[in-house]
Amino acid sequence: MNAFIYQLGLQWRWDIRNRGILLTYYLIPLGFFLFMGGIFTSINPEAYQTIIPSMTVFGVTMGAVLGMPTQLVTVFGTDIKKSYLVGKIPLWTAVAVNILSCFFHLMIMSLIILLIAPILFDAAIPAQIGVYLLNTAIFIIATLSIGSILGVFVKNSSKLSIVAQVIFLPSVMLSGMMFSTDLLPEFLEKAGLVLPATWGFKNLCANGINLDNTFPLLLMIAISFIIVALKLQRTKTD
Amino acid sequence: MKEVIQVSSLMKSYANKKILDEISFSAYQGEILALLGTNGAGKTTTLECIEGLRKYENGEIKLSGQLGVQLQSSSLPDEIHAKEALSLFSKWNHTKFDKSVFDALGISEFGNKQYKQLSTGQKRRLHLAIALIGDPDIVILDEPTAGLDVEGRVALHRLIKKLRYDGKTFLIASHDMAEVEELCDRVVILKDGKIEYQGTVDELTQNTQESYHIELKTNNKMTFASLKFSTWIGESKGYQSYDIADLNQGLAELINIHNANNVEIIDLNVEKVSLENRFMEIAKEGIA
Repeated sequence: MNAFIYQLGLQWRWDIRNRGILLTYYLIPLGFFLFMGGIFTSINPEAYQTIIPSMTVFGVTMGAVLGMPTQLVTVFGTDIKKSYLVGKIPLWTAVAVNILSCFFHLMIMSLIILLIAPILFDAAIPAQIGVYLLNTAIFIIATLSIGSILGVFVKNSSKLSIVAQVIFLPSVMLSGMMFSTDLLPEFLEKAGLVLPATWGFKNLCANGINLDNTFPLLLMIAISFIIVALKLQRTKTD
Repeated sequence: MKEVIQVSSLMKSYANKKILDEISFSAYQGEILALLGTNGAGKTTTLECIEGLRKYENGEIKLSGQLGVQLQSSSLPDEIHAKEALSLFSKWNHTKFDKSVFDALGISEFGNKQYKQLSTGQKRRLHLAIALIGDPDIVILDEPTAGLDVEGRVALHRLIKKLRYDGKTFLIASHDMAEVEELCDRVVILKDGKIEYQGTVDELTQNTQESYHIELKTNNKMTFASLKFSTWIGESKGYQSYDIADLNQGLAELINIHNANNVEIIDLNVEKVSLENRFMEIAKEGIA
């Protein structure tokens, strides 16, 4: 346990030392929030109601799908994996500390949006802050669980940059964060239901806990956990 | 002597191609054993099977004692500091790092640098330090001094010799024959997944009839192929090449026969057949 906590602390520091990670966890999501927050609220008077959820969903999706998996690929797609195996560091810890470290970073990024949006853009504050934060946490974990699948399966970072876009771009376009899903053709609206961003956005916009929106996220977490665990089991030896 | 590594009839294939074909060898306590072979001979696969990183179809690997492994460079995250890496591996091995080894490897010079900022030599020293965490009985080193400067190389050789006298067994994969000659007691040479030779370094260089290689340049192209103590190899760039077993007898014979035929020797080079030459012969043509 002591070793795991030490490793988690190291991962947190490595993330901060890594410019690419800082960009995807903080700088781009918050920059996008500042830029698009101003545009959205000026072109759509109703946007103040959804600016916090939409920018949170964008930032979390970016960090969890474009950022965190790169850290996993550097472990599982290189000799670092061998280093862990011969050094008696269980491989699952590489996944766990990356997920946990990224979770804390993305919670901080989400809190910054929650605190600043009402001041800058007169954004509506969620009615139940505790429930909103719980929904944010569930959404972050669900998105990170999808990101962890990418991280353990994709062999190198150039392939990852393409594969991750296959999840990231539809998440931005089909989840409802940029425009209402009612405006989408039916098949695209249905396609969006396989993405955590769609359910996360619905959950964050709802006042209170909505099990219909939460259940798909919990299901994604459970399925991802099984897939990653099986992959790690097979990764130990060829 | 106690056998600490026993590899018996090890077999491994990829896509129906035999990578390791029933190889067997042992390493004894306190011994430094070199595993040699050209690229693709099966060295890395053998090491990875011993390290537990690869499955194998047949055979058996027995290790008596704890194993430490030095991997090649680029096997740690770029952002990790050298000291952090040592702490991380020490914590997972439930042990504290031996400060004398830490000092001998000069880790404190670069302990607070990120892995990506380290030179190749510093990375190799760090990986060796990690391999020695937990005071292992058997240490596997993959190209231990690649990228090290002369000073670092001497310090590392000194440390390896000291640890060997403390009873540790080393299995070393290396392309550096000078290092193998200086450090290792025995060598195992792999060729196409089979063991072509195993024995001491001295046996490898001495158990050959031609121990010296002579190159002669003369004032005409006359060659002397039928000689008692010398074997004519061929001509290249105006030089006649001979292999001889006994330097005195062979040289005397060559000089005499040239004098007797009024052939003037313009240039003469003598080269002792080294481990590197012998290794190249075996790796190319198999054991004579």
